[in-house]
Amino acid sequence: MKISRYGEEAIRILFGDKIDLEIHDKVRRYYFFLKSLQLEEITDIIPSFRSCLIIFDRRKTSYEALRASLQDKEFLIAHIEIPEPETHDVPVEYGGESGFDIDFVASHTGLSEDKIIEVHTSVTYKVFAVGFLPGFPYLGILDQRLYVPRLETPRLKVPEGSVGLAQLQTGIYPFESPAGWRIIGRTNKKLFDYSEEPYSIFQIGDEVRFIRA
Amino acid sequence: MIEIIHPGIMSIVVDGGRHGYREVGIPTSSALDLYALSVLNHLLGNKCNAPAIEAFGEKFSLRFGKDVCCAITGARMRASLEGRPLRSWMSFEARAGETLTVDEVMEGFRYYLGFSGTPVLEKVIGSYTTNLECRFGGYRGRALQKGDRINFEGTRIAAVQPIPEEFIPRMMPPHTLRVVEGPENDYFTDESLKEFLGGKGRTVFTVSTKLNRTGIRLDGKPLAFRADVEESIISEGLLPGSIQVPGDGLPIIQLHERTLGGYARPVLIAKVDHDLLAHLKPGDSVMFEMIGMEEAERLFDRKMEIAASIKN
Repeated sequence: MKISRYGEEAIRILFGDKIDLEIHDKVRRYYFFLKSLQLEEITDIIPSFRSCLIIFDRRKTSYEALRASLQDKEFLIAHIEIPEPETHDVPVEYGGESGFDIDFVASHTGLSEDKIIEVHTSVTYKVFAVGFLPGFPYLGILDQRLYVPRLETPRLKVPEGSVGLAQLQTGIYPFESPAGWRIIGRTNKKLFDYSEEPYSIFQIGDEVRFIRA
Repeated sequence: MIEIIHPGIMSIVVDGGRHGYREVGIPTSSALDLYALSVLNHLLGNKCNAPAIEAFGEKFSLRFGKDVCCAITGARMRASLEGRPLRSWMSFEARAGETLTVDEVMEGFRYYLGFSGTPVLEKVIGSYTTNLECRFGGYRGRALQKGDRINFEGTRIAAVQPIPEEFIPRMMPPHTLRVVEGPENDYFTDESLKEFLGGKGRTVFTVSTKLNRTGIRLDGKPLAFRADVEESIISEGLLPGSIQVPGDGLPIIQLHERTLGGYARPVLIAKVDHDLLAHLKPGDSVMFEMIGMEEAERLFDRKMEIAASIKN
């Protein structure tokens, strides 16, 4: 664990230096440890692939005090209850107008459209992080055979529900938004609902299976 | 009640922001100039992070449907109420049927209009602020348009008062933004960082036209990555005010709409200067000055003390 300061009001904790399930599991445990403490001086937590960012209220604590207090309580990590991850099935219409980059992915990877779909649906993915946009899941780890680079210049708009690939990740756009990932399909599953907690259907550590619609 | 006659270039409902849900990617989407928002609400007798209209561009105009106390802060401007001259950083009484018009913005970019009372709008995830990109919060999740009407509850006539000049920040370019070290400071060559942050002869950047509530792209001499690092990082938590540098080396100042980022962050803007980011406009010159963390804390605390002293 590497602890450092990021700006006046955040503590950044690194748990490793790569995208890896074990490292991510440590991030997730730490995130639930932080939640279990229910400290009012912590205003936000952003867990991701290999790090936890803790945003605190400097009127209520200081970097030094919060860091020391978290280190004092660390022994609790082994004892807290970690919720079981949920599994989500996501039906996807691949290719065609919904997956307008599938031809690019085919020519870049040398795989046929059917093979791309087969490979993409054969993995149970881990939600490594939720963010960029509200409810956007960063899913890994993608099969090496589907590795494609991001777009050099992001598109200004892709439709809500678009399923994209970038490097060794796959993800779903919960809103119509700008996008730098290659779009291979679309789902009609509602991913984000601002009227009801917890707002995002995906939480960190959840599992996702894509199903050909 | 108020009715929008002209929304300026863009106007939206904002407040102190949406907090506590960045873990699922919900950004704060707060007002960009929180100092201006808090002084505005002080003038109106509202809570310091209460909702207001954040606008930019001239011609903004609205009509009052009932007597209310109104105030303007943020950019320095000339405005008028039924032909009577007004300026920003003061409160005034408006009568039913009167029209307020923003005539000229002289210094700064975004301005804030507020009203005594609470707008009758739906709070979304604990806040009135607008997430424009995802179309929720604020007024039906979108920017204000001609003909939109907002009702207020608990309106009252508050004391009419101006804010003394010494409490009004300067927003005139060139802007010198103070920064503290970011997580990927060592991704860049020493020489490049020296040019970026050094005193004499440091790079002067220009605010590009690629500017919105998500971020501000700067033009100027690109930063140079060290040969032994990857240009992107594994995406992780991102703070407002961070400077992200993509592969082209040109800095992007991140505002309040992103929770995760994948670009290297050599520095981030010290909190004391976050409010100034609301006033960067295309063509403005921008320079950076590195300060230590203790100084950054001290400067921000001092600013908060000054803000609190307005109320005494």
